[in-house]
Amino acid sequence: MSTVEKILLEFEPETRNLLPVLKRISAAFGYVSQKDAQKAAKYFDLPLSRVYETVSFYDLINIKKQPELTIEVCSGTNCAVNGSFEIIREIENLFHVKAGDENNPRIKLEIISCLGQCGEGPVVVVNGKVYTKVTVSGVHGILKEWV
Amino acid sequence: MENKIITKYWNKIDPLNIQDYIKVGGYDALKKFIRDMDARTALEEIKKSGLCGRGGAGFPTGQKMEMVAEKTEKKYFICNLDESEPGTYKDSSIVDNNPHMLLEGIIVSALIVGAGKAFIYLNGHYEKQKEILAHALEQAREKEFLGKGIIGSCYDLDIEIFQGAGAYVCGEETALINSMEGNRGEPKLRPPYPTDSGLCGKPTCVNNAETIASVPWIIVNGGEAYSKIGASCSPGTKLYILGGAVKKPGVVEAPTGTTIHKLIHEFGGGISCGKELWFAQIGGASGRLITENELDTPLTFSRDCPVPLGSGAVLIVDKSVNIYDLILSWTGFFRRESCGKCVPCREGTFRLHEIAGRLKDGEISERDKEALEDILWTLNNTTFCPLGKFAATAMSDAVEKLGILGD
Ligand SMILES: Cc1cc2nc3c(=O)[nH]c(=O)nc-3n(C[C@H](O)[C@H](O)[C@H](O)COP(=O)(O)O)c2cc1C
Ligand code: SF4
Ligand code: FES
Repeated sequence: MSTVEKILLEFEPETRNLLPVLKRISAAFGYVSQKDAQKAAKYFDLPLSRVYETVSFYDLINIKKQPELTIEVCSGTNCAVNGSFEIIREIENLFHVKAGDENNPRIKLEIISCLGQCGEGPVVVVNGKVYTKVTVSGVHGILKEWV
Repeated sequence: MENKIITKYWNKIDPLNIQDYIKVGGYDALKKFIRDMDARTALEEIKKSGLCGRGGAGFPTGQKMEMVAEKTEKKYFICNLDESEPGTYKDSSIVDNNPHMLLEGIIVSALIVGAGKAFIYLNGHYEKQKEILAHALEQAREKEFLGKGIIGSCYDLDIEIFQGAGAYVCGEETALINSMEGNRGEPKLRPPYPTDSGLCGKPTCVNNAETIASVPWIIVNGGEAYSKIGASCSPGTKLYILGGAVKKPGVVEAPTGTTIHKLIHEFGGGISCGKELWFAQIGGASGRLITENELDTPLTFSRDCPVPLGSGAVLIVDKSVNIYDLILSWTGFFRRESCGKCVPCREGTFRLHEIAGRLKDGEISERDKEALEDILWTLNNTTFCPLGKFAATAMSDAVEKLGILGD
């Protein structure tokens, strides 16, 4: 298991490495905690606020601990015309959640932007695993794998 | 006439094997550049070709390269492979099918502008493409197409992959540079343009991956031959990404100036069985809507073209599609992707998305309708970067051409 210190030492402390480092930390631990952000700030010799400026901007970096189950549904144009909003409504009803609600400690359902796999939409990502050509009925089977 | 340049060897060669590409004439452009040309003569060919940016804006590539080539300081070349316009996956298809053509284009372009270092700014989600490119870079280094003293010449070049972290606006070149410098990916005020002051304050040439992939062909076959392909205002071929209700969705290559009708019927195999065409959207979520009587419009990058080509995405929407869901797709996208730097876009995209929600629920009021007009105007005219304008495009067309608000 890698530690934040180890990840930091893989990179030179130059600001151009800040984004790659934060992305790596988020991927390794699920999110960038305040403690880790402080460590990064110290390593790069930047104010903590400056690290947060960057860390809070990007979709692929989390700053909060993620729930056990995160479901992301692409709502890009191509996925949308193939029914991604029906899938979203199906999942909302299934788990009694609302898309975009960040306060449920167990499940997060998120509407995301195009992933570039539009030819195989609708695309659903569950805890990082990508499912393509998902249908309203098929989504039940996919989610069963995870709950 | 040649109609396939970028896709010519797709599915015919092994993309992971540099030898396959070399066998079909790959890296000949680089060899020609090194042996028979110099940066000036190569630049002349690019200018003659009339090649213009495939990233959406259609800026003349030769002119941009020249602005950087003229500078004498240290400079950079960046291949823009952020590609996050919804419905667009042409640049990743280039990497999947023929990554060496892209690398050759980057190498030649970087040498033309005189950069010793080039970057590929890769979409944060493109993990597979990152592996393919890393592998291809290694092979190119082994063959001495990269590194110090490229195939025995005095040219040096290194290429590095920089991966984004999921933000649409980072495809905009100044935001892209901000993101590479470890900042928030917000656009910067232009001027100064990146060609004067880009990455680390140095002159930087940023080009779209598809633009760059056309460069080797131009070097080998000459600018004049390229300028004869497609529409004269913006010559060459273009990758179109067909999606929605067509029989054969996917990436196709056709000359610029091809009509939407032809794209649907000749390249896309026609409208899907049992579906009836309603309208088409050209250029992803930022694109305009085209109704049936406009399908004969040729698509070009010219400013005079009523339908800008944009990213080349062609979405065919049929009558069974729930338009309110599609509207939520547009407005939700821009609300999420607005970087928040300027008020008209940050607030405008938010309000637009709220109104789209009420429209869907059938709760839209007269006040909403009035506000909508103001919001669209504000987005269209007052935002800091073009993202704000993009956010208004499809919605304005939906109001005007589809009459989504009723009477
Ligand atoms: C909001 C926004 C997003 C953009 N996204 C991309 C993109 O994903 N890929 C791209 O090549 N250009 C994108 N562009 C255009 C770039 O700013 C730039 O014009 C382009 O990379 C220049 O390359 P070209 O001249 O070869 O087209 C975007 C522009 C804006 C305003
Ligand atoms: S228009 Fe939108 S994306 Fe562009 S700078 Fe303003 S807030 Fe950011
Ligand atoms: S629109 Fe969903 S992956 Fe592109």
